Amino acid sequence: MGKGRGTSKFSLLAIILLFCLYPLFSNFYWTDVAFFFGVYALLGLSLNIVLGETGLFDLGHAAFYAIGAYITAILNTLYGIPIIWLIPLSAIGAGLFAYIVTSPIIHLRGDYLCVVTIGIGEIVRLALINNPFGLTGGPNGITGVGRPSLGPFLIDSPTRFYFYVWGILVIVIICLIRLQRSRIGRAWNYLREDDIAAETSGIDVRHFKLLAFVMGAALAGVAGNIYASKLMIVSPDTFTFMESSMLFCIVMLGGLGSIPGSILGAGIITVFPEIFRIVANYRMLFFGGALVLTMIFRPGGIWPRKREALRLQVSNIDDVKGKVRGKLKAIDKSQNMKKTTSKNNSNEPNTIGNHILTTDKLTMTFGGLVAVNEFDLAVSQGKITSIIGPNGAGKTTVFNVVTGIYKPVSGRVYFEGNDITGLKPHKIAELGLARTFQNIRLFPNLTCIENVMAGLHHRMNSYVLSSIVRTESQRAEEKWALEIAMHWLEKTGLGDVHDELAKNLPYGKQKLLELARALSSSPRLLILDEPSSGLNDKETEELMVFLESLLEEQNLTILLIEHDMNVVMGISHWVVVMDMGMKIAEGTPKEIYNHPKVIEAYLGREE
Amino acid sequence: MIILEQLLNGLTIGSFYALIALGYSMVYGVMKLINFAHGDLFALGSYLGYSLLIWGAGAASQRFGLWGGMIAALLFSFFAVGCAGVLMERVAYRPVQKSGRLPLVVSALGVSIFLQNSIMAIWGPRYQAYPASVVPTHAIHLGWLHVTIMQLFILILSFMLMLTLYYIVQKTTFGAAIRATALDREMATILGVDVRKITLFIFFLGPALGGVAGVMNGMYYRQISFVMGWNYGLKAFTATILGGIGNIPAAMLGGLLLGIVEMFGAAYISSAWKDVFTFLILIIILIFRPTGLIGEKVAEKV
Repeated sequence: MGKGRGTSKFSLLAIILLFCLYPLFSNFYWTDVAFFFGVYALLGLSLNIVLGETGLFDLGHAAFYAIGAYITAILNTLYGIPIIWLIPLSAIGAGLFAYIVTSPIIHLRGDYLCVVTIGIGEIVRLALINNPFGLTGGPNGITGVGRPSLGPFLIDSPTRFYFYVWGILVIVIICLIRLQRSRIGRAWNYLREDDIAAETSGIDVRHFKLLAFVMGAALAGVAGNIYASKLMIVSPDTFTFMESSMLFCIVMLGGLGSIPGSILGAGIITVFPEIFRIVANYRMLFFGGALVLTMIFRPGGIWPRKREALRLQVSNIDDVKGKVRGKLKAIDKSQNMKKTTSKNNSNEPNTIGNHILTTDKLTMTFGGLVAVNEFDLAVSQGKITSIIGPNGAGKTTVFNVVTGIYKPVSGRVYFEGNDITGLKPHKIAELGLARTFQNIRLFPNLTCIENVMAGLHHRMNSYVLSSIVRTESQRAEEKWALEIAMHWLEKTGLGDVHDELAKNLPYGKQKLLELARALSSSPRLLILDEPSSGLNDKETEELMVFLESLLEEQNLTILLIEHDMNVVMGISHWVVVMDMGMKIAEGTPKEIYNHPKVIEAYLGREE
Repeated sequence: MIILEQLLNGLTIGSFYALIALGYSMVYGVMKLINFAHGDLFALGSYLGYSLLIWGAGAASQRFGLWGGMIAALLFSFFAVGCAGVLMERVAYRPVQKSGRLPLVVSALGVSIFLQNSIMAIWGPRYQAYPASVVPTHAIHLGWLHVTIMQLFILILSFMLMLTLYYIVQKTTFGAAIRATALDREMATILGVDVRKITLFIFFLGPALGGVAGVMNGMYYRQISFVMGWNYGLKAFTATILGGIGNIPAAMLGGLLLGIVEMFGAAYISSAWKDVFTFLILIIILIFRPTGLIGEKVAEKV
């Protein structure tokens, strides 16, 4: 470990030295090439936030680059504001623009988002050509942009520009690495991997998508500022769809979400055409071919991101467990206090007072199909309630409405007495309701511990600035999250595989991981959609014991859909039977077992 | 009557868009890929038709007459671009397909850059012009209405092609197989649909129709350039989304609609801002009807 760190430190030093000495050995031409390498690295990193980290198809990124360049050019030529001051202004301007134009379209998925960003890119370019209010100088653009100066030190020569851009780049890279390994970076990755699972785990998907766009745009705006001051001219020809495609290729060539990858991609894009300058007319032809070949042989990019291991810096794992238990108890206590005030001390399972979740005439339709029809459900505090029914009865739809994935056509959902109908899934998760899915929805390319930490997201506070600065409280919070996540991995028997990617786990363990993620959010109601499907008898048995132990330990209530009658009859306190979207019976397992309507729903009517 | 003429002009441009849009839509149907190289195949078609008419001007036009030359150019472009499409699928898309959608997009961008620069390397970076002698230039007057023969030819041929395709896709068993593949590739394979054959057919026919549109575009505007693929591609692609991607009649409608909207936008709003309006309309439609004008709303399975 120590040795590996030493060599990587040494190679980093060697690279820095190489970069510092480079202009001494190169002529102005190649120093300029290295400058543009730097600009494209900035642009690649800015798109990497949007496309790589967050998985949003952005094929109009040149628009944000253009906004930054034009803000710099206009304000510098009209009002003589120094270029350096315009760096933050360009960033804010581009970020604000991104916020305004992407807010209404952020809900679009995949290809549709891609199309809209292409549209935005074209609209910006065409608008610049059309010279609105005489500001942009039309097709010829704006000339006479000034040079940046750091105090008395004017940046004018290729060598100075080279150090200027790479200096900024180093700062940006450090910030981005810190961001990548924080709550923010993880949230972006969660929603890239599976935005529905992210949302139900308590991540405000819309917010973090917008944040990615705003930050990506702001960084592109900075690149625009540097570009404008170097060329001293900006014109619409720079900011074409072709430019956006190139940025897209930079990120994809390097590897999605990989910081060194994006820099490498930028290097390829800028240096490749220079090397093939001898064959002037054919160089882009080769480049097109090279893109295809790279995607055939290295579809994941040349330098893909390897998920780093998140290890606890504690020698004794039992130590951690003890500490975590203490913390969890503290949390439970505060929740208990809240509850005892409203608790109605009655043992009757369906009296109103101690129902943690109730639905009132819940109805959901898809087109003409009524999936759930005036469904009333009451889930008793601290008990296990099962919903059973034939396939297509509407059980999962009830779950999806309760957790906010679907908005009901009519009817209401109450959780701990509060009306939660129509709230967004992440809000509902924050209130203390966690779930698993019928077809496991994990974050396949993230490690197990990162998967579990998704449940902790909404219990953490650190944001962009505190993650970049790594404040004391941010580090403490990260450590806390790691400990709790580790605790749940241990509890579900996944402690040994905490650094393994979720997609590499066998089916049974994936189910447990999903359960660990749900539990880590410290929910008061846990909703499980067919927890035992795909498990063998022994695993099912263990699961049942585990679930029952949770009721006591975590002061939890469980609502589940289950087809395995042994599970249903074995652990449920209350069973609700659904058929054709309606409740046809409910009662204790024993009552349900012999209920004529239930037998009819499952086996048909006796003629 | 001006309005009627403008409508006719819009329909002419719209039929180019529609023919190109069909290729986008069909490919998207079977591969869920926005084929960014499709616009460049259209440009390739335009250049191939141009070369045939220039080099073979002596041969084609003189032996078969004006119309014979035109039809020869259209047929040549149809088959040549169709084959280029099949080759493109085989070389650049099939090996990447298993790696997911993002690498496919990059591969498509790569093919696009490759094609565009191949055209530039072969025919040069400057504009080329279809000579006036190889296309009919006269117009007919129907009352006040003024229509060129070329416009009429383009409209008739485009509508014939579109109707044929519509018939194949909507009324034949093979068309049903295409639609099934577009809906659920895996299920179609299980049910015995030869997805390979359908992919081949799509990657021939889509580009081939684009090639025909390219030649007609050259004959209509006469001037062609190696970057025209991007511009027309982008517009046609907008048309595809406008109608509803993956749906063949929707692509035709989207193309025609876009042509008309653009014509009237240029005439009554501002020609400089017409493309801005086009994209604004696209974005607004996507905000309110994310699946296009005709596309069905599909609830996502959770």
